[in-house]
Amino acid sequence: MEEPRIGVYICWCGTNIAKMVDVEAVASEVSSMPHVVLAKNYKYMCSDPGQELIIKDIKVHNLNRVIVAACSPRIHELTFRTACEKAGINPYLFEMANIREQDSWVHTDRSEATKKAIDLVIAAIRRVRFHEALEKRSVSVNPATLVIGGGIAGMTASLEIAASGKQVYLVEKADHLGGMVAQLDLTFPHLSSAQQIIHPLIQRVKNNPNIKVFLNTQIQQVHGYIGNFNTTILQNGNESVEIEFGNIIAAVGLKPFDPVVIPEYGYKKIPDVVTSVEFEQMLLSGLIQTSEGKDPRNVAIIHCVGSRNKKFHEYCSRVCCMTALKYVHQIRAALPDANIFEVYADMRAYGKGHEEFYAHTTHKQIIFLMFDQQTGLPRIRKAGAADKCNIIIEMDELLSGISIEVPVDMVVLMTNMEAHDDVKEVVRSIGVSLCGNQFFIEKHPKLDPVATTTGGVYIVGGCQGPKDIPDSVSQARAAAARILATIAQESVPVEVTTAQVNELLCCGCQTCVRVCPYSAVSYDESKKSSVVNEVLCKGCGTCGAACPAGAIKCKHFTDSQILAEIEGIMSLSYKY
Amino acid sequence: MSVRLQPELRNQLIQFGIGDWNACYHCGTCTAICPLSEKGFLFPRNKIRLMQMGVKDELETSVEPWLCYYCGDCTKSCPRDANPGELMMSLRRYLTSKYDWTGLSRKFYTSGVWELGFILVFAALVVIAFLFLLPAYGFKFTTELTAQGGVQVNAFAPWEYIEIFDWSMAAVVALLLISNILRMYYKIIWKDGKTTVSIWTHIREFWLLIYNFVVQPRFSKCEDKNYWLSHWFLMSGYTIMFIVIVVYLEWFQTDEILPFWHPQRTLGYYATFGLLFGLFVAIIGRIRKKRIKFQFSHVSDWLFLIMLTLTVITGILIHIFRINGMAWATYISYIAHMAILVPMILIEVPFSKWSHLAYRPFAVYFQQLKKHAVPRKSNQ
Repeated sequence: MEEPRIGVYICWCGTNIAKMVDVEAVASEVSSMPHVVLAKNYKYMCSDPGQELIIKDIKVHNLNRVIVAACSPRIHELTFRTACEKAGINPYLFEMANIREQDSWVHTDRSEATKKAIDLVIAAIRRVRFHEALEKRSVSVNPATLVIGGGIAGMTASLEIAASGKQVYLVEKADHLGGMVAQLDLTFPHLSSAQQIIHPLIQRVKNNPNIKVFLNTQIQQVHGYIGNFNTTILQNGNESVEIEFGNIIAAVGLKPFDPVVIPEYGYKKIPDVVTSVEFEQMLLSGLIQTSEGKDPRNVAIIHCVGSRNKKFHEYCSRVCCMTALKYVHQIRAALPDANIFEVYADMRAYGKGHEEFYAHTTHKQIIFLMFDQQTGLPRIRKAGAADKCNIIIEMDELLSGISIEVPVDMVVLMTNMEAHDDVKEVVRSIGVSLCGNQFFIEKHPKLDPVATTTGGVYIVGGCQGPKDIPDSVSQARAAAARILATIAQESVPVEVTTAQVNELLCCGCQTCVRVCPYSAVSYDESKKSSVVNEVLCKGCGTCGAACPAGAIKCKHFTDSQILAEIEGIMSLSYKY
Repeated sequence: MSVRLQPELRNQLIQFGIGDWNACYHCGTCTAICPLSEKGFLFPRNKIRLMQMGVKDELETSVEPWLCYYCGDCTKSCPRDANPGELMMSLRRYLTSKYDWTGLSRKFYTSGVWELGFILVFAALVVIAFLFLLPAYGFKFTTELTAQGGVQVNAFAPWEYIEIFDWSMAAVVALLLISNILRMYYKIIWKDGKTTVSIWTHIREFWLLIYNFVVQPRFSKCEDKNYWLSHWFLMSGYTIMFIVIVVYLEWFQTDEILPFWHPQRTLGYYATFGLLFGLFVAIIGRIRKKRIKFQFSHVSDWLFLIMLTLTVITGILIHIFRINGMAWATYISYIAHMAILVPMILIEVPFSKWSHLAYRPFAVYFQQLKKHAVPRKSNQ
């Protein structure tokens, strides 16, 4: 092994670090350490001049190891690795010490924070001596794509990918395409017809030669890895078809919440208490009528049914407020003299044109009644003979502070959306995780919202969280763009810092096989040893930590590297 | 106890000139900014809520609309342009119609045909009385002038008879107004049945009524001094005229032309000036629409201003024609004056805008009574 020549760079991050950490003291403290050729500090290491400084030093001082003490490696590790690569050294010979999130931002004593920064940098210096150069790897990509779910998100993604001439397999559980949008009458906030949006889309999907649609079909366990997946799909419950594909889009959507579990609302017990889904059917049929076939004179629309309530679902389903306001326009058009009550908890109008839609709708002579989810839901009861109405809603009205009775003839429950019953089987078959609300978890909630931690698997539409049509379509097109980019490159880079089994030390206990969250470790009977599929391995290190024989080495997280890092932190702490 | 909503209340209220109250989303800015809203007597936000929901009883028993003097700060600061100030104004009209037991107030506020019809019928009755009734009793139109060269008004309209008529009209109006005030009192103080107010409190706080009627101090809390002044001139001018016409007509309606500085004339001139000044400010204000309180005029607002202005003008004409010996012009002015004055008093004082002369000070008195109210003992 060549003699390490380490360059250390302490970043000020403007005042973010420099205010709490004496960056010059850190640099001078570590400059005399063995193998450290130079130690510098600079205002913004991530800036172009900052990176140029590293590149120049590598060339001039013949450095072969680089340390930047700055922010979290989550933010700029890739920046500095790329800089190292430009200067001609392997990017894995770089190490980052986090002295911002883990130091300057969380401490208030400058001298203590400076000592901690020194410890962290020394740990990085000790560690980086043991770094090894690692080579990037890639795998070829099958240009076909599997899309699960034939709603608006799945169909949009399919059309987008098929437009580039690539094969799409569109699998739909039901016997028709269209999903939830096919059940709607008008959309908000423009009151345009949902049917006129979805039907042309269905026709385009059916007529597209690059899209193969499988109705009444469910997928089985998906095998393989990014670029090279395969599965068996089960059509009509018995006909199985083998398909191979390089990427997956999950667009399984959500289903309406069943309000029968909310005793206050008396759904299915009291006539003329209907869900928003049933009301959409009523609107599609063109007649708003009570069960007795009369025009309702008073209609109440109850918001947040099963939403934002710890007893049912804590999340907001995002589309109900605007849908409820949409109903105002439709009821007002059909029954000009009806009294319309919006029984709500909060009015949420976050989207483009939504606040305007709310403001516009408030002029439609409606009565807003506010309830508090914490103190109690409105209570619905059947009206008596003397009441001159079908239903009475009792509630504590929040904005007036009085208990009121609302006489109505029809109640529309704005039901929440929730995951399908079989969602766990779906996520297991494609290797995706679910959050507590049973929504598919994205790779990064802000920076990578359609990808998942499993390479080649993307999530779009409602299954990632409740959303309206524009958001579902945007996600679908975003995922399609991501997939087309990988298809265009014909290969994708795979994780470098994978685990490696030393077959001579492996005792065959298969602990690693059981703990691997990515199904990347398998047991090879012929070798009597565990084997890591380096394409599936994400380098999480679980197997390496669990292996009782010490037979698994995790690249870039070897025992010597980690122990050196720990020694680095401990040694100086003892000194002070 | 739950309150049953009456959604149809909204449609009833709209007829009293209510603005776009549905736009309100209850941020509470209006109540926070109101200089007159106070603990226990908060407005206007909560009243808007009652109106939106149709909680009739609570609305009818509230005193707060009368405590608002319409400075317009709430309307200026409303982020939704819901116009809370005008909502309070409309509520005052609504409450006026609710205090009135005859149902006429509601008709006058909501139907132009009723209001105009009423005016025309009473104007016609007055004209008939002067043309046929008084001549039948021997009173005559004479062009013969007094020694001073003035018109003999009392020969045509003797003050004894006119005063009897004035008294009887005042009695009718007073009876109506007093019965309405009693209804207002019942609604505000007793109807909820939860509290009681001692007789001693009623007596002790009575001075507030007089003080508020004469000084109108609440105006100065929210309005600029100019408006308080012009309103006060109008009020004092009207009060003086009312007293001299009803109580001292013998002294006021003379055939003799008294010297300029005689109290009969100076008092009359002051009252005329006060009325004209107040009317001028209100009419110009409602035309220019600069003050928020003048931006939204209900039919009843204009009708009141026009009738009062015509009354004052015809009154001035009577005076000018009389002292200049123009007999026929005097008689015509006198008949016109009465033909406008009589229906105006009959409509405005017990049933419409002018009733606020009683409701305003009484509301302050009732508010004070409510402050001293104690929980009623249960009847167990």
